[in-house]
Amino acid sequence: MFVLELVAQSLVQGSIYALIALGLTLVYGLLRILHVAHASLFTLGAYVGVLTYNATGSLALTLLAAMLVSGLSGVAMFRLAYKPLLKQPPHVALIASIGLFIAAEECFRIAFGASGLSFANTPLQGQVRIGSLQFKEAEIAVMLGAALILGALAWLQSHTRVGIACQATVSDPQMAESFGITLNTVRDLNFLVGSALAGFAGVWVAVLNNLVEPTMGSVPSYKALAIIVLGGMGSVPGTLMAALVLGLVESFGTVYLGKVLDRNAIAFAFLIVVLMMRPQGLFAKK
Amino acid sequence: MHQRSSNLNTAQSLLLAAAFFGTSGAALADIKVGITVPSTGFAAADGKSALDGAKLAVAQANAKGGVKGEKIELVVYDDQASPKEAVPAATKLVEKDKVVAAIGGSYSGATRASASVFQGAQVPYAVAYAIHPDITKTGDYMFRVSAMGEVQGRAGAKLVNDLGKKKVALINIKNDFGQSLAAGFKEGAAKFGLTIVGEHEYSLQDRQFGALIANLKSQDPEVIYASGYFYTAGPLVNQLRAAGVTATIIGQEGYDSDKFMEIAGPASEGVLVTTSLDRDSANPATKAFLADYRAAYNAGADMVAAATYTATQVVIDGLNKTGGKGGAALRDAMAAGTYDSPIGKLSFNDLHEVKKDIQVQIVKDKAFRRHSVISDAVLLAPPSKSSK
Repeated sequence: MFVLELVAQSLVQGSIYALIALGLTLVYGLLRILHVAHASLFTLGAYVGVLTYNATGSLALTLLAAMLVSGLSGVAMFRLAYKPLLKQPPHVALIASIGLFIAAEECFRIAFGASGLSFANTPLQGQVRIGSLQFKEAEIAVMLGAALILGALAWLQSHTRVGIACQATVSDPQMAESFGITLNTVRDLNFLVGSALAGFAGVWVAVLNNLVEPTMGSVPSYKALAIIVLGGMGSVPGTLMAALVLGLVESFGTVYLGKVLDRNAIAFAFLIVVLMMRPQGLFAKK
Repeated sequence: MHQRSSNLNTAQSLLLAAAFFGTSGAALADIKVGITVPSTGFAAADGKSALDGAKLAVAQANAKGGVKGEKIELVVYDDQASPKEAVPAATKLVEKDKVVAAIGGSYSGATRASASVFQGAQVPYAVAYAIHPDITKTGDYMFRVSAMGEVQGRAGAKLVNDLGKKKVALINIKNDFGQSLAAGFKEGAAKFGLTIVGEHEYSLQDRQFGALIANLKSQDPEVIYASGYFYTAGPLVNQLRAAGVTATIIGQEGYDSDKFMEIAGPASEGVLVTTSLDRDSANPATKAFLADYRAAYNAGADMVAAATYTATQVVIDGLNKTGGKGGAALRDAMAAGTYDSPIGKLSFNDLHEVKKDIQVQIVKDKAFRRHSVISDAVLLAPPSKSSK
């Protein structure tokens, strides 16, 4: 019973991690940039979500607005910040990314205040009982939403021309280009989709916590990096599995190791252990 | 009443002037008082309340003619509630701005770090709401207007006992604040024969408590004593209730902000907090402060604002007695004073800790209202020089 409850909680956490980490993996796979500022798009989605919902009361519109704004901001970030740096060594883009992340945090604080925003009427707060487990409606929604979106994405990636073009670009950009794939379109698309997913996750975290703060991206910014390393750097299925495994490790770790290790340290302790045994990550092919 | 509103207009225009000219626009002869607050970073919300509280006290004092006709100038630095930012900020206040006194408007970690700078420079430092015991132990230039963590923790245990409950689960935030509260609570729990059925910890960045709550549910407590700030406690209380936990929840002054009710929503109803600001107080100083704060900022005051206002008041009162001089004269004047403040009548003991009652507030209809007052001179006695 208690164990089941923990597993359920780790699924909720894992879904959120997966949504955030996926965009990061896409960018890393494509450009080899550690896109720390990705977490600020997660925060942006959360802010847009709260503002839209408080203004309209429509959850569908809220999700759409958050994904659109985060997605387009992600594309803008790529075009304005990363694209001019592509010829530089990767750490240059990493430094730019950290700068963007810090600047975004302060912009949120200046624009929306330091104490954060909450929903006037938080959506999906009702209780759902499944067997002996008790969930918030929003928790169910985030799990279903993540499964649906990530499933659809996986299907699109292997069954549509655009998806295959993306995969081709990841495995060999020059070859892909010679087959007539426009690299920049693929890059734009990756930033759009990855950032929209971060925005989607932002809305759900806002709903679950009923609080959006300027600093809410700080933990995801580094934890998502841990997840993509665990998942084997740039591997999409690996990232999803790593997100779920990390959710589990954290939930059980909080209960059984909480006195010794901070929850956010557990992720990194786990990362170190995994890297010692499997330097290529948990789910990489070789 | 008429008198006050005109004072306040002056106060507001002074605030405006301060905002426009910053610190450099003031005349050289002004008396400089420093303050460190977390204006950016995770604690920026409390930083804003603290600064608003201090500015109100300074504006009111200046509207009354300042100190012997000289205006008080508040020199503000951001310490991000971080020890490594706090030391340079404190050093700048001492070395560059040469302040006569300073106000600690930040968290325990940062305040402990800057305490030794002010002590070394013999600049009296009035700490508003940082509760770690080491702060006043730094030396005789340190003052604290809030009840320290252990004292508040003991008050929490007494409250559980007063409610007639025995089985308690602790949820501690992993920092100086949470540790000193938990230590005090356990001390009190032993005294009152309470059973601690579980102890949980979380970190400052946590907003999702699913695993912790699943664990807590299996321990079935009657009362949950949870330390934290409104931005951690809001989500925590919300998620506790959503998970079907009905135990009474007791928080502390970190909860004490209207934002807590906003974040926790209906789950906040019935939550008890031990704090220093009583919204239903009959004390004229408290009532005046609550009204003035609302008039100046169009928002309800919280404990942080009230405590920082009080710390500022203590410094200004001392300056009035020394005619604007700092150093040992100001220290002795501050130590000897008694203060009628928004957080009650205060006086300092030999370690410059305050002895005062603890206010218990309860959330009713989205507002903090009076629940009870814990006054037990023995239980709530702050440490003194003789107690190690």
